[in-house]
Amino acid sequence: MTVIEVQHLTKRYKDTLALDDVSVSFEKDTIYGLLGRNGAGKTTLMSILTAQNFGTSGSARVFGEDPYENARVLSRICFVRESQRYPEDALPTHAFRMASLFFPNWDQAFAEELIADFELPLKTRIKKLSRGQLSAVGVIIGLASRAEITFFDEPYLGLDAVARQLFYDRLLADYAEHPRTIILSSHLIDEVANLIERVVVIDGGRILLDDETDAVRSRAATIVGDQAAVDLFVTGREVIHRENLGRVASVTVLGDLTADDRAALQASDLDVAPVSLQQLVVRLTQHAARGAAKGDPR
Amino acid sequence: MIDEGRPLFVQIAESVEDSIVDGSLGDDDRAPSTNELAAFYRINPATAAKGVNMLVDKGILVKRRGIGMFVAPGARAALLAERREVFGARFVQPLLDEARALGLSPEDLVTLVRERADVPAPAPSPASAPATTPMEGLER
Amino acid sequence: MSRTLNVVRMQLANRETFVWVPLLILGSAFAISMIIWGILSSAGVTVNMYGGGAQAPLWYFVAVGVQALTLTFPFSQALSVTRREFFVGTMLTAALTSAILAAIFVVGGLIELATGGWGIGGYFFALDWLWTSGPLMAGLFFFMLTMTVFSLGFWAATIYKRWGALRLTAILVAISLVLLGAVWVITATRSWGSVMEVIVGSGVSGLTGVLTVLTVLLAGGAALALQRATV
Repeated sequence: MTVIEVQHLTKRYKDTLALDDVSVSFEKDTIYGLLGRNGAGKTTLMSILTAQNFGTSGSARVFGEDPYENARVLSRICFVRESQRYPEDALPTHAFRMASLFFPNWDQAFAEELIADFELPLKTRIKKLSRGQLSAVGVIIGLASRAEITFFDEPYLGLDAVARQLFYDRLLADYAEHPRTIILSSHLIDEVANLIERVVVIDGGRILLDDETDAVRSRAATIVGDQAAVDLFVTGREVIHRENLGRVASVTVLGDLTADDRAALQASDLDVAPVSLQQLVVRLTQHAARGAAKGDPR
Repeated sequence: MIDEGRPLFVQIAESVEDSIVDGSLGDDDRAPSTNELAAFYRINPATAAKGVNMLVDKGILVKRRGIGMFVAPGARAALLAERREVFGARFVQPLLDEARALGLSPEDLVTLVRERADVPAPAPSPASAPATTPMEGLER
Repeated sequence: MSRTLNVVRMQLANRETFVWVPLLILGSAFAISMIIWGILSSAGVTVNMYGGGAQAPLWYFVAVGVQALTLTFPFSQALSVTRREFFVGTMLTAALTSAILAAIFVVGGLIELATGGWGIGGYFFALDWLWTSGPLMAGLFFFMLTMTVFSLGFWAATIYKRWGALRLTAILVAISLVLLGAVWVITATRSWGSVMEVIVGSGVSGLTGVLTVLTVLLAGGAALALQRATV
């Protein structure tokens, strides 16, 4: 069941296109990874979906309706920004109390567990919290809101590796008990690769990839071996990365490898290395950037 | 534990199969639930579910309504049979290939295997040795 | 409706801004006036002394109006509150606090009148001119004045958020020019006498009416600007 439907959404700022004819949909009860570089358009897309920003053209429908000034729809969404502004002098407890007023599914007991887990100092004013503690406030609001659609926009900046793992663990555990749609934007792709069911890659305001994580993983492979043999094998395939070390070439290609392919590779004494999700996304975006630089009419 | 090579759900299914094969999960035992697997491997529950469903389709796990997921009777036997079939292609062939690259003949290989498995020099009755011994001798 | 009321609760969560500081300012202004009157009285002054200190918290309400937007709007957006709910809830909060201040003002004035200026002829609340139409009108005037000042701050902050400092300054300059122009015209036509007559003639109620119109204009302008404001 589709809960978010974006059709030909464009957002123009003076002469830059933050979003360029974006069409994508998000389903109920799924964890999505919204991946892309800084400035790729992730935050813009999420802002428009939550009516905090407005598209220039095209449409964005949440639960089938326009989210703008729509309390019925908005009360079922939570968007925790990367740099969320809080009422200056407020204490974290104030922020959580306010959140409890507006999110119908707010779970105070869960929030308190998370507060303990993240060791959040409740008596310190929000403006005096460290970057990590500030992120923890956002994460706690996002998780405890149990909103049917929850966006996390790089909310764990400032959290150390231990705290991040805590976030992932709590997220998964709560998602198992209370399935909902979660859209997680991140740079740390490999860290979240196992959490996300579907990957949406956005670059330069355009959707580069929109697929199941497992399908994406098997979509590329790195062929390593003697340069001539590698080049022969990859003719006709879409190459997204190439490296050379002496006579050894390492080429990343898109496309599934059939059984025949694998036999051919073995026969030519070429190695196949898997491509991690992070590598794939990085290579894809670099590839797209090169295409754009060459004036590729994409 | 989890590698990049094959789809996650396949790896999850295989790890459950491994537990059945090595005996830690016996026939008719309760299998780990989707959520338990997801939490343990730190993966999305839907991925874990896919792996579990794959095993259900294969007949290794069986769903008992209202109670949960259980190891199907005869699952271990079925898995052993399946794995023995691919054993040759999966383990022996790479062994032969590597041996050839190093200049070792098949006879050299047999000697090496015997040494490691601590089996004395040939008494010509392959049927007398229990089928599981050579497997136990091999390093996994 | 309950979400709008929750916006009120959200704004009031910061009790310092909306309640304590205004009361503190009022209290200190009052205390200072009393001390001064005490000194004057003991020095032998017997005429009625009028203090203008009651207007002290008003200036702070400009800041309250500004903060009501800048501090709380971004967070309200994160909590998925609509702009309409935020606007109405914030104005309700302003009305609530203005009403409380106005009530204090009226009660204080009544006490003053009853005690003949705290026994020393010192009038902080019950300023003659304001009370000509009675305590209720005085209270209404004070309420409306506070609302206008709050709306001014809220409006300015909203314009700033939507269009930035440059446009806000431009608008303020434009308004100032219009006012200066009006002053110039009145002076040139020597109409100050008639203008004064109109102002004094309309009395407290008239002035309250003007303030109401001002509040509506400012608040309305803020609401419109808020429609497409982004965080």
